[in-house]
Amino acid sequence: MGPVLAVLEMNANQLTDASQELVTKAKSLADELGTTAMAVAFGDEIGDAIRTLDVGKVVVIGGPAVTSYASLVYEEALEKVLAELAPALVLLANSTMGMDLGAALAARTGKPMLAYATALAVDDSKQLVATSQVYGGKLLAEVQLPTEGTIVTVIPGSWPASGTSGTPQLEDITAEMVPGVEVVRVMEEDSGADVDITRAEILVSVGRGIQDPENLELAEELAQAIGGAVSCSRPVVDAGWLSRSHQVGKSGKTVKPKLYLALGISGAPEHLQGMKDAELIVAVNSDGKAPIFDVAHFGGTADILDLMPALTERLQGRGQ
Amino acid sequence: MTLRVFLMILTVAMIMGSAALFIRRILTIYHVMQKARPVNRTDRLGERIKSVLVQVGLHRRMFRISFSGLLHYFIFSGFIILLIDVVETLGEIFFPGFTVGPILAPLVDIWVILVAVGILMALYNRLVIKPERFHGSDEKDAFLILGLIGAIIVGIVIHDSFFPFVAPEVLHVADPVARAHFLGYAVSRLWVVLGWTGPTAASIGYAFGYLLDMGVVFAFLAYLPYSKHLHIFAAVPNIFWRNLEPAGQLVPKPIEDTMAIRTFEDLTWKDVADLYTCTECGRCQAVCPAHAAGQPLSPKMIILQLRDALNDRLADKNPNAEYPDLAGGVIAPEELWACTTCGACQEVCPVFIEHVPKIAGLRSALLEDGIVDPNAQKVLMSWDRQGNSFGQPGRKRPLWAKGIEVPIKDARKEPVDWLWFVGDFASYDPRVQHLTQLIAKMLTQAGVDFGILYESEVNSGNDALRIGEYGLFESLAQKNIDALSKAQYRRIFTTDPHSLNALKNEYPKFGFQAPVMHYTEAFLELIDQGRLVVSPVPIRVTYHDPCYLGRWNGITEAPRQLMARCGVHLVEMPRHGAQSFCCGAGGGRIWMDETGIADRPANQRIREALALPDIQFFTVACPKDVSMFSASVTAMGVEEKVRVVDIAEILAVAIGLQAESSLALMTV
Amino acid sequence: MKIAVLIKDVPDLVEELELTEEGRLAVDDMSFVPSEWDDQALEEALILKEGDAGSTVTAVAIDTGDVDNMLFTALAKGADRGVKLVGDFNREMSNRARAEVLAHYCHTEGFDLILTGVQAIDDLDGQIAGLVAGRLGAAHASVVRDVALGSTSVTCIQEYSGGKMAELRLTVPAVLGIQAAQKTPRYVTVSKVRQMQKSASLEEIEGESSEAPALEIRRLYPPVASSHAEMWGDDVEELADRIVNLLEEKKLLRS
Repeated sequence: MGPVLAVLEMNANQLTDASQELVTKAKSLADELGTTAMAVAFGDEIGDAIRTLDVGKVVVIGGPAVTSYASLVYEEALEKVLAELAPALVLLANSTMGMDLGAALAARTGKPMLAYATALAVDDSKQLVATSQVYGGKLLAEVQLPTEGTIVTVIPGSWPASGTSGTPQLEDITAEMVPGVEVVRVMEEDSGADVDITRAEILVSVGRGIQDPENLELAEELAQAIGGAVSCSRPVVDAGWLSRSHQVGKSGKTVKPKLYLALGISGAPEHLQGMKDAELIVAVNSDGKAPIFDVAHFGGTADILDLMPALTERLQGRGQ
Repeated sequence: MTLRVFLMILTVAMIMGSAALFIRRILTIYHVMQKARPVNRTDRLGERIKSVLVQVGLHRRMFRISFSGLLHYFIFSGFIILLIDVVETLGEIFFPGFTVGPILAPLVDIWVILVAVGILMALYNRLVIKPERFHGSDEKDAFLILGLIGAIIVGIVIHDSFFPFVAPEVLHVADPVARAHFLGYAVSRLWVVLGWTGPTAASIGYAFGYLLDMGVVFAFLAYLPYSKHLHIFAAVPNIFWRNLEPAGQLVPKPIEDTMAIRTFEDLTWKDVADLYTCTECGRCQAVCPAHAAGQPLSPKMIILQLRDALNDRLADKNPNAEYPDLAGGVIAPEELWACTTCGACQEVCPVFIEHVPKIAGLRSALLEDGIVDPNAQKVLMSWDRQGNSFGQPGRKRPLWAKGIEVPIKDARKEPVDWLWFVGDFASYDPRVQHLTQLIAKMLTQAGVDFGILYESEVNSGNDALRIGEYGLFESLAQKNIDALSKAQYRRIFTTDPHSLNALKNEYPKFGFQAPVMHYTEAFLELIDQGRLVVSPVPIRVTYHDPCYLGRWNGITEAPRQLMARCGVHLVEMPRHGAQSFCCGAGGGRIWMDETGIADRPANQRIREALALPDIQFFTVACPKDVSMFSASVTAMGVEEKVRVVDIAEILAVAIGLQAESSLALMTV
Repeated sequence: MKIAVLIKDVPDLVEELELTEEGRLAVDDMSFVPSEWDDQALEEALILKEGDAGSTVTAVAIDTGDVDNMLFTALAKGADRGVKLVGDFNREMSNRARAEVLAHYCHTEGFDLILTGVQAIDDLDGQIAGLVAGRLGAAHASVVRDVALGSTSVTCIQEYSGGKMAELRLTVPAVLGIQAAQKTPRYVTVSKVRQMQKSASLEEIEGESSEAPALEIRRLYPPVASSHAEMWGDDVEELADRIVNLLEEKKLLRS
């Protein structure tokens, strides 16, 4: 059986968390299947994190062609690596790069592919089995995977990374230039100004529990510390404390952030309609019976005016 | 040349000139009306004549603002009396010896005084009171017209004052009514003192007065059709052509292609007449909830912008000229989408202009171009896909009926006496569902044999139509009509005024006919039949008339009587009945972004209620009102002062189904 | 440019997803709606067309059931052509199988730019954009927005996590998985679609299918749902710790 191969992704020369999780899974699956774990990394400046990965071998694809991610260059290089290593399983994160590469590689190589995996395991009869989130998370699909090069994209955060280290064999190859996709420039989203709450990944949303417009500063600070934007429920807008562009709900904006932190919001039906599809909802409200807790995943009943500074402090503490 | 010949030639010239200008203008407008869409507004002659007599003769709507009504009545009646003067004055010159007699002559002078008072009142109104409703109107034109009217009455007095001298000495006729024109006679004494009674002086004076009177009258005639004062001629026919169909019917006949208004030819001819009838009085603007909320909409400006755009096009000689779109160009999308279709503008308009159908047609054009509020768009898609505005599965519509003690019949499977059309909010809104359950229990207690259509019911389409989505309205209506046609029932019952309006006024054009009752009417009937026994609930309340119940369907008494039967003490808000003030939810507004709203209409309404002495309850009779006003009370933080209560809850207490302490909505 | 938009319909998530006794989706009882990201792709294509007089937009769907309305809707919104790829296809057609048919058609037609939704709720075996691009050997990018046409290339913004993004230039033919259009997909009135159904017709083209790898789905099942939040009490310090831990666990902390 071929190796279990994790395709790694770097962000600012750091291995992404999602990639570390892939390595952990590649290692454990390889052990169970009786094969080796391997990894592929892109870039010339790979750090110690790569050199000490707990896998048997790391193929480092370098050269000027891979300075920035470009689908065709990466695909072509990977295709060669796959042809050479003939892996049993290829793991990618379900990130932008993973979505790009996974499907295109599968189509180019004719291998089976599975997207949105949240679990991978070897069952009692030594079959490789994956679980995928489909239909907006309303259903899970349990899929049996052939170990002949199946490509799997994994939703980040599906399992913890172990953090074990090893001494992999390193193989350097140089990627060739492939015309077709050219990276013109790489940019960072400028934070600041009046943020569009429908685009923010994290929303710190405040309701009547904020009590006084002066307390909004606490929310602003928290939003800054957490890397999100401030939004609110209607009473806050009606009181004139925030402009209407911040309002979430039926008469405001509909949002689907990765995290919706509802602070002091009771959850009127109009409000719930605007945020219930957020990926993760954490609600804090002094009234434990408030309807917001019917849609929230996690909840607490502390005073938000105490909680906000406590959270900000912890988050800022981490940054330093 | 004698004075007479001189004035005759001049008069004939003036008549021909002004008549030519007048007719040219009227023909131009007539031409536009001819090319516009047809609508039948000449049926039911008797009713039409009666309405003209009441609205023109008695100034019924005008007198809703007494000061303005009175001043207008003075000036308006002056125009009738002016006819006597015109006949008399022309007669004096063209038919020597002509007189209107000693009875009509002094009438002219009396009315000159009244018109003068009217003009002074109008000046006071415009210069001192300065009502906000005039904002945006052409005030210069108003002053010009007042000046012209002033000139006419001065001219009348002057020529009357010189006639006693001119008659015998220049025209060689008698002036039997010299003293009857008491104002003229009084002034003539001045000429005696000044010695201006000789043939030359009197001729000059008379000619001056004559030209000031007749000259301005004919100048007026020529100018009027080009100004807002065309209403002097257009008001009467426009009132005659008023809509006599049920007020709540937005679209009279099934539409083949589109209801969108893109060109002036997409208006009905009555719509065109409306544009030229507008007096710019701004009463519509003063009652408009969107305007009061600080949004860019004024019903008056919609009419004026359309009129001005039409005038620009009529004046443009270039056949290939390109003009801005009516919807989105001449009238901004923000104006059109701000309308709640509450109809207060139409209700108050003294000349019966119909604003809402124009707004709906213009909205339809925006919608076809994809210019619509994203939230409203989502609701339209939910109606299309799921049949409700909540984006919930159709199967969940009857979920409220589960888990209550009383069984709810499936009207699709067995005959029922009353078919209950529940509506979206009553079915899906968690704040309203318990009211729906309460209604079911009360119907059961009264022994009513009733049932619902379960998941076969879809939204009535009332609001979809008012958003301008005719096709969607039609498809929703068709689904409901199909389901209803398979059920057996005697009457339709609903708590939702929007559904009531659609079923009652919009569905008949598809051949659907059934008696439709609002629950306040139905429960009133049950009490009066002795099927429900009420004991008094001594609370002080005020009542908000829902637009689609009170104004559009004239159901204002049933809710009040129902509360009276329950022993409730009702204190009226200043704006009630057909003059009620919209909660801000209608016409799809409830789903639209509130950006730009400075002061929500519902909040204003709650403040209006809070200004009443000792009011604990704000009663409503519409599921959307429950939702809107509860939200306002919470947002304003006045839960301790006033509670929003549906009339059904009061009735439930009165018939012993609930304790009085239950008279509070769940505060969410 | 000759632009194609690949669209498909997916189960309406508003409705409960029901399963058959065999653990398959009960597709016959479900209502289907256009995939929301495909709607975004269509909107982006229409915006591009409006900005470039020479461009045409062809909406392409595989006839897996009732797709006519979806195609007429695309026409009513402004697409030039509505193409229905017919053949022995059904609702349970996998994305790999779809990609074969679509790639073959796109190759035959020689589109310059192929847009589709970045993903769909049912693409268990890969996203259409990458699969079609892989089969065509074309330049491609997923999770993109703000597409602009050049003469023989297109530019777009590709979004990465954490607010990072890159401006890409792709040589045509190119395939893009659209994350979001430059504006909310336009509304089209019911009567406009009806008029289109009367006045326009769809092009029915025989879809060429070829063998594609298939996955063996053992079962579909709903996740264990909690209808109420897991409550963490009222202690400020504990709550703050728990929230930070959760953020860490869900990779939502800025590194």
